[in-house]
Formats: sequence, C-alpha cells, structure tokens
Amino acid sequence: MFKIFFSSELKYTLKQPMVYIFMFLMALMTFGATASDSVQIGGSVGNILKNSPFVITTFVTILLLFGLLIAAAFFNNAALRDYNNNFNEILFSTPLSKSGYFFGRFFGALILSTIPILGVFIGVILGSWVAPLAGWEDAERFGPFYLETFVNNYFLFILPNMFIAGTIIYSMAIAFRSTVISFVGAMGLIVVYLVSGSFMSDIDNETIGALLDTFGIRTYSLETKYYTPIEKNTLSPSFMGLLLWNRLLWIVIGSGILAASYMRFSFLEKNKKVKESKDKKEERVEVSTMPKFAPSFASNTNWAQFKSFFYTNFTSIRKSVTFKILFVFSAILLVTRLWNGFSYFGLQSYPLTYEIIGAIDGSTTLFIIIILVFFSGELIWRDREQKINEVIDASPHSSIISLSAKALSLVTIASLLNWFFIFCGIIYQLANGYTRIELDVYLIDFFMTKFPIYFVWSGVMIMIQVLINNKYVGYFASIFVIFFWSIVLLMSDISSNMLEIGAGPSVRYSDISGFGPGVEGAIWFNTYWGLFGLICLAIAGGLWNRGSSSSLKERIAIMNKQVPKAFKMGISALVVVWLGVAGFVYYNTQVLNEYMSSDEREQLSVDYEKKFKKYEGVDLPKITDIKYYIDIFPKQRDVHVKALMTLTNETDNPIDSIHYNYTKTWNPEFNIPNSELVFDDEYFEYRIYKLRKALQPGESIDIEIQTKYITEGFQNGTGNTSVVENGTFFNNMSILPTLGYNAGVELSDKTTRKKYDLAPKKRMPELEVNCSKNCMSNYLSNGHSDYINAETVISTSSDQLAVAPGSLLKEWKEGDRNYYHYKVDHISQDFYSFISARFEVATREWNGVDIEVYYDKKHEVNIDMMLDAVERSLTYYSENFGPYYHKQCRVIEFPRYSTFAQAFPGTMPYSESFGFVTNLEDESDNNVIDAVIAHEMAHQWWAHQVVGADMQGGTMMSESFSEYSSLMTMKNMTDDPMKMRDFIKYDHDRYLRGRGQERIKEQPLYKVENQQYIHYGKGSVILYALQDYIGEDSVNKAMRTFLDEFKYRKPPYPTSLDFMRHLDPVVPDSMKYLVDEWFKEITLYDNRLKEAKYTELPNGKYEVTLQLETTKIKADSLGKETKVAMNDWVDIGLFADADEKDLMYQKRVKFNQPQMEFKIIVDSIPAKAGIDPRHILIDRVYKDNIKTVKQAE
Amino acid sequence: MSILKIENLSKTYPNGVKALDNVSIEITNGMFGLLGPNGAGKSSLMRTLATLQEADSGSAFLDDINIFQEPEELRKVLGYLPQEFGVYPRITAEQLLDHMCVLKGITKKSERKEMVTYLLDKVNLYDKRNKSVKGFSGGMKQRVGIAQALIGNPKLIIVDEPTAGLDPGERNRFYNLLADVGQEVIVILSTHIVDDVRELCTNMAIMNLGNLVFQGAPQTAIDELKGKVYQKIISRGELEEYGKNFPIISNKMVGGQPLIHVFSESNPGSGFEQVAPNLEDVFFSKINTQNVIV
Repeated sequence: MFKIFFSSELKYTLKQPMVYIFMFLMALMTFGATASDSVQIGGSVGNILKNSPFVITTFVTILLLFGLLIAAAFFNNAALRDYNNNFNEILFSTPLSKSGYFFGRFFGALILSTIPILGVFIGVILGSWVAPLAGWEDAERFGPFYLETFVNNYFLFILPNMFIAGTIIYSMAIAFRSTVISFVGAMGLIVVYLVSGSFMSDIDNETIGALLDTFGIRTYSLETKYYTPIEKNTLSPSFMGLLLWNRLLWIVIGSGILAASYMRFSFLEKNKKVKESKDKKEERVEVSTMPKFAPSFASNTNWAQFKSFFYTNFTSIRKSVTFKILFVFSAILLVTRLWNGFSYFGLQSYPLTYEIIGAIDGSTTLFIIIILVFFSGELIWRDREQKINEVIDASPHSSIISLSAKALSLVTIASLLNWFFIFCGIIYQLANGYTRIELDVYLIDFFMTKFPIYFVWSGVMIMIQVLINNKYVGYFASIFVIFFWSIVLLMSDISSNMLEIGAGPSVRYSDISGFGPGVEGAIWFNTYWGLFGLICLAIAGGLWNRGSSSSLKERIAIMNKQVPKAFKMGISALVVVWLGVAGFVYYNTQVLNEYMSSDEREQLSVDYEKKFKKYEGVDLPKITDIKYYIDIFPKQRDVHVKALMTLTNETDNPIDSIHYNYTKTWNPEFNIPNSELVFDDEYFEYRIYKLRKALQPGESIDIEIQTKYITEGFQNGTGNTSVVENGTFFNNMSILPTLGYNAGVELSDKTTRKKYDLAPKKRMPELEVNCSKNCMSNYLSNGHSDYINAETVISTSSDQLAVAPGSLLKEWKEGDRNYYHYKVDHISQDFYSFISARFEVATREWNGVDIEVYYDKKHEVNIDMMLDAVERSLTYYSENFGPYYHKQCRVIEFPRYSTFAQAFPGTMPYSESFGFVTNLEDESDNNVIDAVIAHEMAHQWWAHQVVGADMQGGTMMSESFSEYSSLMTMKNMTDDPMKMRDFIKYDHDRYLRGRGQERIKEQPLYKVENQQYIHYGKGSVILYALQDYIGEDSVNKAMRTFLDEFKYRKPPYPTSLDFMRHLDPVVPDSMKYLVDEWFKEITLYDNRLKEAKYTELPNGKYEVTLQLETTKIKADSLGKETKVAMNDWVDIGLFADADEKDLMYQKRVKFNQPQMEFKIIVDSIPAKAGIDPRHILIDRVYKDNIKTVKQAE
Repeated sequence: MSILKIENLSKTYPNGVKALDNVSIEITNGMFGLLGPNGAGKSSLMRTLATLQEADSGSAFLDDINIFQEPEELRKVLGYLPQEFGVYPRITAEQLLDHMCVLKGITKKSERKEMVTYLLDKVNLYDKRNKSVKGFSGGMKQRVGIAQALIGNPKLIIVDEPTAGLDPGERNRFYNLLADVGQEVIVILSTHIVDDVRELCTNMAIMNLGNLVFQGAPQTAIDELKGKVYQKIISRGELEEYGKNFPIISNKMVGGQPLIHVFSESNPGSGFEQVAPNLEDVFFSKINTQNVIV
C-alpha cells in the first residue's frame, strides 16, 4: 500500500511541470553564480575555487531556504490534493491502509521536493564547464568535483531539511486542510532560523545557536569558520561534530511531529459545524413572464462587456490562493527590507522616497513578474479549465474585448500591488518621522518604470499563451522570454534596448537632477513597447481560439475570414504607428547616438593596443599652464570648452610631434601653431600633429583646444549623466583630449587578453629603488603635467551656480548667464572638477580659509556637521602634517548617478546619496560621514601636496595615508579607545574580504598595485596599529618629514621606499620587525582566548587567569600561508561590562609561545577578557579573541 | 417566424471520424428534438450551429444570417447550453448571470437586475444567488446553465442534453420554462431521453453516425410504425436465438426478464403480441438498422 501511494505520488507530480521549473530555477541561479562574478549567492568566493566543496555547500544551504517554497508546494499537494479534487470520499471509502496512504504520500513528496534542489548541482557543474569554455572565467578558478560533496550535501542538508520542513507543512496542511496555514508553518521554521542567528552573534552561545538552526546553515558556517582556502577547496561537509548533532536533533523533532500528525489523522470526515444559514427569505416581486429587453450592441456594449470581463478576471486573481501567497511573500520581503533600513557603515540613511522605491523594486519585482506569468496562463485557460468556454465563446462579444480585459486585470493587479507596497513605504517613512514624502516621485516612477513594463509583459504573455495554445508550454515560453532572452542577446552581443522586451534607458531619481537624462529616451521606449504590447494583444485577439480548439493554421484562416475589416485596419494602423516610433527610436539610438557593443569595444581595445602601443613612451611635452573657458548649458545639456595651454618640453630631447587621444562625442578642434595634422584615426580617436619646428628641451608653445559636447536626441542607455539639467559634474580629463597613448584602454583581464594573443598585462610598473623614467609621472595626471597654475572662466544658466577650482576672482552676469572667474592659489596637479547646479552655499571661515559646502536645498540637515568635519581635519592635518595651501575648501554635492567622494585640489565633490541624506540625529560624536570628509580632506595633503610615482606602492602615500589621517581625526575626538574599534572594524573587514577575492595576487602594502582592499583596508589598519605601538607623534613625524621633502616638488615623484626611509628613524629597534612584517610582508594573526577564569583572593581582589593561543601567519606572494613562530607584543585586556565598552585593564605583553597563560589581579570582577581587545592587529577571526570571564571551580 | 436552414453540412475530424455527413434540415419556431445515440453527431451539429466549430462544407442560415460567415451576428440571437457546463469558482450565481447578461448586450444595470432575478427565480436558485457557484451541486450548476441560455431574447436556443443530472421536479420546471420561450423561437434540444421529445417537441430529428435518419413530427413517426411492433417476454437464454430470427428493435428488462420489441409488417407469431408503438420504438428502429441487440 505504501509503495502504491509512494510511486503514484512520484508519477503524478513528475508529470507536472512544477518539479522541472523549480529545478531549472535552481540550476539557473547556481549557473549564474558559478559562471560569472555578477551573481553572488552567499559568502565570498575569491581565492576559493568557484566550484569548491565549500562553495557548493554554501549554495545548497542558502538555496534550501528558497527550497521551503518547493517543500510547501509538494507537501501541500500531497496532503490536500484529494480534498481539493473532492476525491477524498471515494478514496477513503476504499479499503486502504492509513499508514500506507499517510506515509506513502509523505515520502513521495519528500523525495520529490529534493529533486529540484539537485538543480543546484546541475547549475554548478554546467557553470564550471561552460564558463572557462566561453571565456567568462579563468579555467584556474575551477577545481575537480568530489562525489562526496554531492552525496554528503544530499544526505546532510537536502534530504533532512526537506524532511523537517515537510513534517510541519504536511502535518499542518492535513490538520487544517489549508494551504495558507501550512505556509505559515513553514514561515515558523524561518523564525527559528533567525532566532538561532541571534544566538550565533554572541560567541559564547554559538554552540546553542548552531544546534538550534533548523537548516544547518549556521552550523556549517561555524564548522568551517577556520577553514583555509585549501580546506575550502577540498573538504566536503561530513557526518561529524555539531553538524551531525544538529541534523539528528532536527530529524528527531521532525519525526515527532510526523508521528503526532499520524496519530491524529483519520479518514473519517470531521463533523463540520454547520453554520446557521443567515439568509433571510427575502420578499421579492414575482415576475411571471420573462422580461423582454432588447439587447443592444453599440459601442457602449463593448465597454460594458469589457468592464464585466475585467471584473470577473480581476476577482478571480484577487481571490486566488496563489495570489495571496505570492502577495504575502513579497510583503514579508519588503517589510524585512524596510525593517533593516538603509544603512551605510552603521549609519542609516533617511528613508528618502527614492530609497523606498529601490527597496520596493528589490524585494517585490520578482514576485510581480511571477504573478504576471502565472496569471496570464490562468486567465487565458480559466474558461476552458472551468468548462465555461463554450458558453462564453458563443456569446456576442469580440475576442479582443475579453483579451484586453484580461490584460488590464493583469496590469491592474500588478499596479495595485505596487501601490500597496508604496503605501507600506509611505507608512514606513511616516513611522520614521520622515515627512518629505514625494508622491509625485512615486507616481512618475510608477508610470515611467513600472506601468509600461506590466503592460508590455501582459500583452506579450497573453499572446504567447494564445499562440502556443498550451498552458505549460506557454509558461515555459514566457519564462524563457523573461529570463533567457536577455542572455541570448548578451551572447549575441546585442545591446539594443529595442530588442529586449520592456527595456529602455534607466531613469533614476535624484533629489538634485530629478529623473535625469534618461527621461526622454524612457518615454519613447515606453511608447514603443506600449504599442508593441497593444499589437501583441491585437494578434492574440485575432487568433484567439474561440470554440473548439484548432491549430494555429486553422486559426489564421478563421481570422482572415472572420475578423472585421475595421479591426484589421486598426491593427495595420497600430503597426504603422509602432513602426514610426520604432524608426524614430532607432534613429536616435543607433544613428544619432551610436554606441559600441561590448564585443566591439573589446575588439577596439585590442586593435588600439596592437596599433598604437608603439607610441607608448614617446617623448611628449607637458602641460605647464592652463586656462579653461567653459560654458555649460544645462537646459540643452551642452558644454562648450576652450582651453588655452602652454606645452613645455621637459625632456632632454627635441620633440617634433604631439600625440592626442580624443573623444569624438566632444568634437575637438585643435589649434597648434606651426603644426600639421599628419595622422588622424577617427575610429581609434587618435591624432598626431607634427610640429614644423621641433620643440627643443625647455622650450614651450601655446596651443588652443576647443571641444563641444552637444546632446542630440536620446540614447539607447541613460545617456551622459555628467552633463545634466541640474548637477552637471565633470572633470578636466573628460572634456579635453589627452596627450599620448592611453594605456587605460588596454584590456586587463588575463583570459581575455589570451584570447586575442596579447601577453598578460602588468598591473603596474615594479617598485624601483633608484627609479628614473618611471618616477617622472604620477598616477593622477599620468605624466601630462605636474604641479601647475590653472585659471577658469566658467559660465552657466542664470539659475545655477558654477564652481571651478581656486578662488573666485570675479562674478558677473552677461545676458541670461552667470559667469565666474576662478584661479587656483597655489600650483596643483592638473586634476580638476567643474560643477554647475542650483546650489545653496554654507560657509565658515577657518584661519583665512573659506570652508564652503555647496548643496541642494533639500539636503541642509547635515551641513553643519560637514563644516565641523572639514574644520577638524584642517586643524589636525595642519598641526601634524603642515600648512594647507589653498584659500578655500569646498565640499560640493553631485547627483547620485555615482556614489563616491573624491578630492580635487581644494574641492571635494561628494555624492548626494550618502552623507547628505544620512540620518545623523542620534550620532553625538564621530561617524562615517566625518570619516569620509576627513579622508577626502587628507587627500589635500596626501595626493595633492605629495603624490606617489605611477608604480607599485604609489597609492600607499595617498589612500593609506588619507585613511590613516581620517582615523586619527576620529581618535582625537574621543577618549574612548573602544569607539575606534567600531571604525577600524570596517577597514579590517575590507582587507580580509578583499584578499579573499583577489584575482591576481596579493601584494604587501609597500608594493600595492592600486588594490583598494590593501591601500584603504590594510594600509589604514597597519598605520593605525603602528601609531599605537610607536606613538602617534612618531608616525606623524615620519609622514611630515616625508611630505616636507617632496611637497609640490617637480618629478621624480616619491615611491613607497622614500617613505620607508623617513619611517625608519622614528621606529625603535625593538619594533623594527613590525615595519618589515606589516609593510613589506603579508602578515596576519590568529589570536584566540581559550579560557578566562577568575578567583577571589583573600585580600578581596580578584585573580583572572587567561589561557591564550596566538599564531602568526605569513602569506607568500602566491597566497600560500605558513605559520611562523610568534615573538611579538600583543595587548591583553579586561572589560568591566559585557558590551565591551569599558576597558578596565590593558597591558601589552610579549608572546613567545603558541599557548600562554597570564594572570592578572584586579579590584573587581571583569565581565569579559580578551587578547588584542582594541582590535588593532589583523586577525583572521576576531570574534574568538574575547570571552566572558567565568568563576573558577 | 424564424427559419433555420441547414444545407449539406459535413464535418470530418482529423482522426477520420465523420461527425456530420451531408446533413440538411430546416427548422422553424418551436421545440425541435434531436435524438441520437452517443457519438451520433448531435453535439457536433449543435456546436457548429453555435459558431464554435467550423464545418468542412455546407451552409447554415438563420433567417438571413449566414452562420459561418457572420458568426458574430448569430451570437447576438443565440442561447446556448453546452453538454458540459462549468462555472467560474469564486463567483456567485448572481454575478455570473449578470456577466452573461452584459455579454448578451443587456447594458442597463436595472434591466440586468430584473432579468437575473427572474431567471434565478425560475430556476429556483434565488435563495442561493449570493453563494459561490463552485459549491453548487451538479444539478444546481446545470440550472445556472439553463438560466444563462435564456438571456437576451435569443431567436435560436440550443441546449445539449440539458436535463442530465436534474431531478424529476427540476426537469419539469426546466421544460416548462423552455416551453414558455419555445413558442416564439427555435429551440433545438438534444437528448437521449425519448420521452422528453415526445412530451415537448413538435418536430424532431434522429441522428446516427453523422446522418439524419429521420426528421418530422414525433407523431408522424409513431404513426408510421402503427401495427408493426410486437412484443414478447422471453427468458434470458433465448435472447440470442430471437436476435437471429427476428428484427429486434429493443430489449429491456421487465420484472427481471427481457421484454423484446420486434418490427414486423405482419404478426410474427410464436407468442408475440402487437403493441402500440411509442417514440422509443421509433428511435430504436431508426438507429438499429443492423438488427443488433442493444
């Protein structure tokens, strides 16, 4: 009996598409995650092979969370199918065995629900096979598969998790005969999982947490916490330790639930409580003869029919359980998303309308698409499935009316959902006390980015269902079109949005520049797709299978015969209009504004390198003086530039030709006296001018270059986001042609280069001890210029304010335009930004320097704090490093098309999306906004007063120094050493995560190759630790003397070795090893507190005994890690409180054994103890450094 | 007075089954019964007339509406109840009928309300009007189906086995309703309950294997058989032998023993007695031409 139900369960469900769809989705996700870096599922990958047992197990455990949905589907089906089909009475009156039925169904569903998860394996295997072949990933990033990985994952995670979820879902479904309730049961499992997470966050409880985790996810991550990359690459999860116990525990619990449910289960119908009928017998007028109403078939009939169809369709979606579940799920996701807020390094952004919109998109889009796909099929097939199709089909309505009503009800349900989510978002905004609710932004965003998508998808999917004439094949086709079509386009190297259904330029709302430059294009693309959706509907209407089913061919014949002329004319007219729009869009996006596909761009890079590499290193003059004339036309989004510059030959040889790289879209015009254009390649945008008389060493010429950026029509993509109606922001590199060969164009990826027979590219020139030529250029201006004077006359429209570097000499109006004349007060690197917007300006004076913040009037809330931060930085840096040479210090807000802050001489453009909109109301002291400002301010010294040569280690002197300086301003604001730990932890994290994802090789700090995780993360941590070991003054002194030597000096530019030279004298001999290990090697620590106990001493004091374990690890350039003997000074400390806020005792002790014991005598009982309590060393796992102190037995 | 004129209608399904074989017929106002065994082509004919299926050849006109060329026009004057009638879940009877009223061109809300009330009352579902149709029994659903077929002043009502699943009381109620409207319009009623046709229809046709094997008034058919039908109660064992020797029209069990009717121009003797023919005899004699025991 068991066998019968078991196998019939399998057979029944395997015939349904659900198993395959789920399996397919699982495979798709892991395929994406394996084959590309853009899809990420859980945890880092990096150094670890992309198909390592660890990664596969992570995929399995994470995706099993989604697997709950699968379990819910299958177990519900097994439990409720007979009831839903009213078959229960027939079935249960047959002599079947209760256990056979109950367990047969259960285990059938159990096996079934594990099948889709196998898609995870399929995806990984396919991904590992395809990615190297297709050249998406290096073959080296994949290793061998281990059978054990698959088997153990199945029996450790897949089967047990499905069993546990299954027992609850199945039992609840049977007990309550309700799908929804059993879903809620599944939700309960997630709650337990979340609770286990809160246990895990405290290292003392992590064992309990790991046992409690319903799904074993956290158990596994605890078990693998100390795994090295090699272990992660080779070891499969095993039936041992906590993981085994966790699995056994939950299987026992699941079995208990199942047993209880079995005892309760009975074939007998429960006595339903019959609800007393509330229907009153109503009085009504008897009508004895049939009322005769003349039917009318005018246009208002169509309208009435449309409404009635709409109503019945809409109701059927709204009342469907599937809809309700999808709705609840997306709502839960949204609420969780909102609950977490919009955090940035521990701070919350205000709940701006665009943030809410982003949250809604992120958490609900997928569900809305699922709803559209699912219900397009439901609505099309509903009449047939309910067997009412013949009656409806034989009634006098036109098919297009009923199909339009279906489409509209799909669009409406999606729209209503979206509006409901918006409503939730508004409630959230209000609940957070945020009242700048931009209903217009919600509304416009809806009509620009949601409604057209819903509309075109509804039309397309209805057409698919009608044409294909099979619900499930139709679903498959719909899913294909949604998810795969874009992959097909990608692989065919087609990036035109005209071929990707519903696509168009993205519009992103910014408080400064509204919906931005993509609006016009988006409107045209929306029109294009809207018409396309209508045509799809019309086609569907014509080919709608009315009456008995017939083949597509027959239906086309019927359409030709029956469809009225007017309708055909209508369709033709529609097609003509659509073609017109398509032509216009094509003209704008392909003719007026050409773009390159990614393959073309790649080929261009290759050809450029092959053709022009020979010019790399030709002698070129440098810009030694420059004057910019810039006219910005915000309304037209045009920019006119004229630059007068002096070029000087600073080489030792005569120069007779000048090479330029230019950008066609900026239409450059060169005016180089006594020269001749001898080479011009428009495709590669490369020009060579030959000077009639060679420029002798030391000689100069004055030249003029004009460029014009003219916005025409709209583009396939968003368009140029740096020239916008409000908030234009560009730098001097982008507006003027650049001198010489541009190595930045070259491809960098090793595999791609190999494909084109190009040798691997060195990321940077190697660090040289006595460098000559390589030190003549820095990485900011790439050798085009050194420290020079610059002057700008910039104009913009009368409502805007334009900012260029330097002091404002003069300001005037001419016509309806504002003019500004700026001049830098001190020679600087030729690295400038120009900005124009409707700005408010906040100013403050500090020792003769004007601190200015230029901001949008909606963003005034944090301005004072920003001014404070600038002032604090100026104070600390000028005291410790040397004077500030500009007369002003500007923080300038720019639109959120990019999220960064950047330092130009005297100016710091700062994106609106953080800082300006971050909620600092509850932040009494230092915070990351201060930190960012302090960092950019520090660049005024580190990058703009001294900048490293363009070679390994170059960015240490700008980025590491700035990040360190920023930390020091923080440190000087607070007396509390524990506050700093909160800041440094981000830098620690940045480094440790970054090195896990390094693709070439990790360099020691002094040879950093512009690797952000090293120069920001490791650099700041090391310098911070160094000042803790040798003193703040010593480190600052080294930096200062280094700065003094190279400040604003002509090349050669300094290297990291120059700094090491200045560092050496300030480091005592006992600490010299730190410099080697931290700067010149890759050194990590693995410190651990094993046990902390206290005993009360007779004198009333307490003796705390700490058992400590320390390891020092050195990584070689290939990333291989070796443990080395420890002979280092490390802090130990005691905390008075459990929150680790009050460090009551601290001592630096020498560790020369791997295991050491220390005894400390204190006056009161400490709550916690730790090694390296302030987290200044780079520790692979810091969590285990601190433990609760327990009383000794 | 409407006339439905069907000429040379043929339809062969892709699997080779000849559903309609050159059917020609003329039907005028009143109830028209369509009798025939399962698979005779009744439903094919009715669906073709209801514009739900294309014919291979032939024509059909309702007055001057060419059904195949102007299906839209026919649908405006058509009431149709198919053999299988389902309903939307999660919608009440009242909502469903209201929807059908709209589809049939009754655009005024008040008129629809009156119509729906009348129909629900006539099919005895007024009390249940706010209940979801999904919970209805088969008979109740069928009654909803009947109600919707009457909406909108149809000139042609096609009902395919409408009384299946109805209890006798409901059946009577339904026929009364149909007879009410059937005076002025064409009602085509397919059934295999022969008595229904006799009681209700002024004209009828019998179909078998896609062919019309009889058309005319029921009484005419019965009259044709007058004096030619004989019956006898035999034992079960004798059935096969009688089958060989006599043109048996029908056999049914009476008191546990087969009662056979045979067709014979003269008294076949051997204990047969002459009976007054009924429509059932007509039916069986028309379709049972191969003298197979049915």
